[in-house]
Amino acid sequence: MQINSYSPFLPGYLDRNENISDIPKETDVAIIGGGLLGTALAYYLAKLGVEVTLLERNDLNREASGTNAGSFHFQIALHQLTKNISGAEEKRLSDEVRLQLDAAILWDNLEKELEADLGVHFTGGFMVAETQEELKVLREKQSIENKAGLETHVLTGDEMRSFAPYLAPDLSGIAYCPREGHANPLLVGPTYAFRAMEMGAKIRTGCEVQKIEIIDSALSRQFKLHTSKGMIGCKRVVNASGAWTAELSMQLGINLPMGLSGLHVNVTEPREFFLKSMVQHIGRRLTLKQTANNTFIIGGGWPSRPEKFPNRYSNYWASAAGNTAVAVRVLPMLKDVRLLRVWSGVWAYTKDFKPILGESVKVPGYHVAMVPTGFTLGPMVAKILAEYMHSPANKNIIPKEFSVDR
Amino acid sequence: MREFDLVIIGGGPAGISAATTAALYNIKVALLDERSSLGGQIYKRVGPGFSVKNSKQLGNDYLRGEKLIEALTQTSATIILETTVLAIEDSQVVITTASNRYEYIKFKKLLITPGAYDRPVVFPGWTLPGVITAGAAQSLIKTQWVVPGSKIFFAGSGPLALAFPAQLSKLGANIIGIIEAAPRPGLFKSLKIASALNQNFDLIFDAIKYQFHLIKNRIKLRYGRIIIRANGVNKLESITYAKVDKYWRPIPGTEKTVIADTLCLGYGFFPSVELFKLVQCELSYDENRGGTTVKLDQWGATSIPHVFGAGDGTGVSGSYVAILNGKLSAFKILCELNVITEAELLIVSKSTRKAVRQRQKFQSAINSAYSIKPGIYELADENTIICRCESVTLKDLNPVINSTSDVSVVKSYSRCGMGLCQGRNCQRQISALIAKRHDINIGDIPGSTPRFPAKPVLLGQIADDTVLEEKYFIDAD
Repeated sequence: MQINSYSPFLPGYLDRNENISDIPKETDVAIIGGGLLGTALAYYLAKLGVEVTLLERNDLNREASGTNAGSFHFQIALHQLTKNISGAEEKRLSDEVRLQLDAAILWDNLEKELEADLGVHFTGGFMVAETQEELKVLREKQSIENKAGLETHVLTGDEMRSFAPYLAPDLSGIAYCPREGHANPLLVGPTYAFRAMEMGAKIRTGCEVQKIEIIDSALSRQFKLHTSKGMIGCKRVVNASGAWTAELSMQLGINLPMGLSGLHVNVTEPREFFLKSMVQHIGRRLTLKQTANNTFIIGGGWPSRPEKFPNRYSNYWASAAGNTAVAVRVLPMLKDVRLLRVWSGVWAYTKDFKPILGESVKVPGYHVAMVPTGFTLGPMVAKILAEYMHSPANKNIIPKEFSVDR
Repeated sequence: MREFDLVIIGGGPAGISAATTAALYNIKVALLDERSSLGGQIYKRVGPGFSVKNSKQLGNDYLRGEKLIEALTQTSATIILETTVLAIEDSQVVITTASNRYEYIKFKKLLITPGAYDRPVVFPGWTLPGVITAGAAQSLIKTQWVVPGSKIFFAGSGPLALAFPAQLSKLGANIIGIIEAAPRPGLFKSLKIASALNQNFDLIFDAIKYQFHLIKNRIKLRYGRIIIRANGVNKLESITYAKVDKYWRPIPGTEKTVIADTLCLGYGFFPSVELFKLVQCELSYDENRGGTTVKLDQWGATSIPHVFGAGDGTGVSGSYVAILNGKLSAFKILCELNVITEAELLIVSKSTRKAVRQRQKFQSAINSAYSIKPGIYELADENTIICRCESVTLKDLNPVINSTSDVSVVKSYSRCGMGLCQGRNCQRQISALIAKRHDINIGDIPGSTPRFPAKPVLLGQIADDTVLEEKYFIDAD
């Protein structure tokens, strides 16, 4: 990794290169949270000429945005599926695939847009099936994906074994999506922040929003944010605080349909590079990939133990044991590779797995930006929200089912 | 699942003494150790395939160890060797023995006696073959009867700088020179050590013996000098040292280069606190006892209920203190298990408590005489590798350290500490760099988030088909 080439994007750099002794007294839009969503939103708003200030209590990109594995999930995955795919389900899944396709196009152009190396690579992705029933699901999802415009292939038998000889030879089948890939999660958020700042956005770290106060006059509504660095007044607020989104919204009597879960990730020692594509499982919790450092990252939704902020979620041994068993089953060579460390991040999900995006009807001026598959979809939903906030008359930009008040 | 009243991790002086003490009261004790024999570093036994005809030839430490281990084997304690502790969760230790699948061991009380590491010192050339730590040299000799190299130069500080080369030379090694970073002990320091002497004659006697051996064999011990460079292309060819000021910073113009094929480093030790961190024990910092240490009460209880610590892994104080502290922890644990009463505890532990106080006084006099100075962390130049697992140089690291004082951020952006040693080699150097750059006290820099496995382990040994996600995953509904 070439550190010198992107040192300006390191967390902490912004503090030391801007006068941060105080925060502005007034701003049009105040964004709470300096993760991928917050920084991307700051960028797209600033680009549209909207006055914006981002407030982050810690350093940028330190929670889920910087602790995820950086994978693009464009195929339909296990968590999107219900037991039986009915007609209504098919419609929902098609919508989700289309959204994922839009995200794919955005990622395709992002390095050019931000004029930076973000480690974006389209290396393809596998979805494996162990049983005949799982293979059936692969075929069903393939037909939905292809109809929605996402290219996927299902391979079985010798065709599968010659295409991916390193995978367990007795898998019932694999789906392959050429468009899937990854970016470096350590770079994307900070780069958005850096470019946003260049376009006039104000970014303040070490600034915790403690209380949101609404001040209504006859003519207009104002928000007053009480922060650890003093008061800031704004016309509009965006809550993009990831796992803490619901906590803050409660202050305004808004009950968001979301929950939190700690996710467990395993990292191994390096081995000679061979696994170009990410591997997922259609029936078990698994994401597996070999990184640019030649280590293997194994995750996929195994839980970790909640801890109070600022402590990081701690790990369950059972998650390591179960998660690596699925990985070794799918990629047998892993049994002779050593586990070096584990980590965990907080995953914020919605009960229907759809993003929460837009302005609250109950509390006009208050916006929420939260998305369960945050890395893949984050930049795109931030862009959609920025367009809406730039011209709020255009209400149809944001799909209804993303509603804040649902 | 195997269950014990007391599980002890680490079969060095502290662990052996605690296990022996506790097992005599007929509670179920398990003593775990990574190696194939007990003894820890100081009492390390000879390796597999070697036999000892006359243990007297192996020195006093070997004999002391032999006696202790013998006493333990006469008790009912279960000794589980070749076992690595991977994680500690609630009242269970996750272990793997030899190349087997992982296993849980249940405990009522846990005593962690993990010992200490050699302090890694980073300077240009420190990664060259031929540069080794005193501990590594000691292991080679104790277990394999191999003396590394034919021209051995010793650089270090502390009592070991005297003892170790003397021991080595006795075994026939060719020691060509010794440098000690601390100044020659003056009258005041000697008096301070002497005043703490009470009951510690054995240690002083050892020291005099070592000194005498060096003089007899004309091995010169130079004070006030530090290693600054190891030279060579693919292996060590020569070493360069220099005189230091009182902060151990080299004085320009005093460099001297000596031909050597082995450089043995002994700049003290630092406690292996990984397991204490994993159970989230409260930590403290004491440079004289090796840096980050675990907070203990007088009985060795940590801030976490049922978890105790003893020995150098809780702060470096040497084997004599370790034996006594192991014993004290065992007594306290017996009391908490209602095997002995509070009143009995005070009586049976009385002489041990008194002995600990005397030993500690002596040890802290020694430690402060040889305390580490900041110059030791400033020897690297731009191209020196700081993290040898990931080949990260100081030049690579500087922009990251300039931008943040957060160890975790430094880790993720530079990859320092991401390799096979899990940061054991570089973490202190990185903390020192952050401390200097951001003007923070090194002791105030929090370490990175503790995570298992405590040691790298094959996925084949931990992968477990019987653990299914349905049981564990939080349902989105």
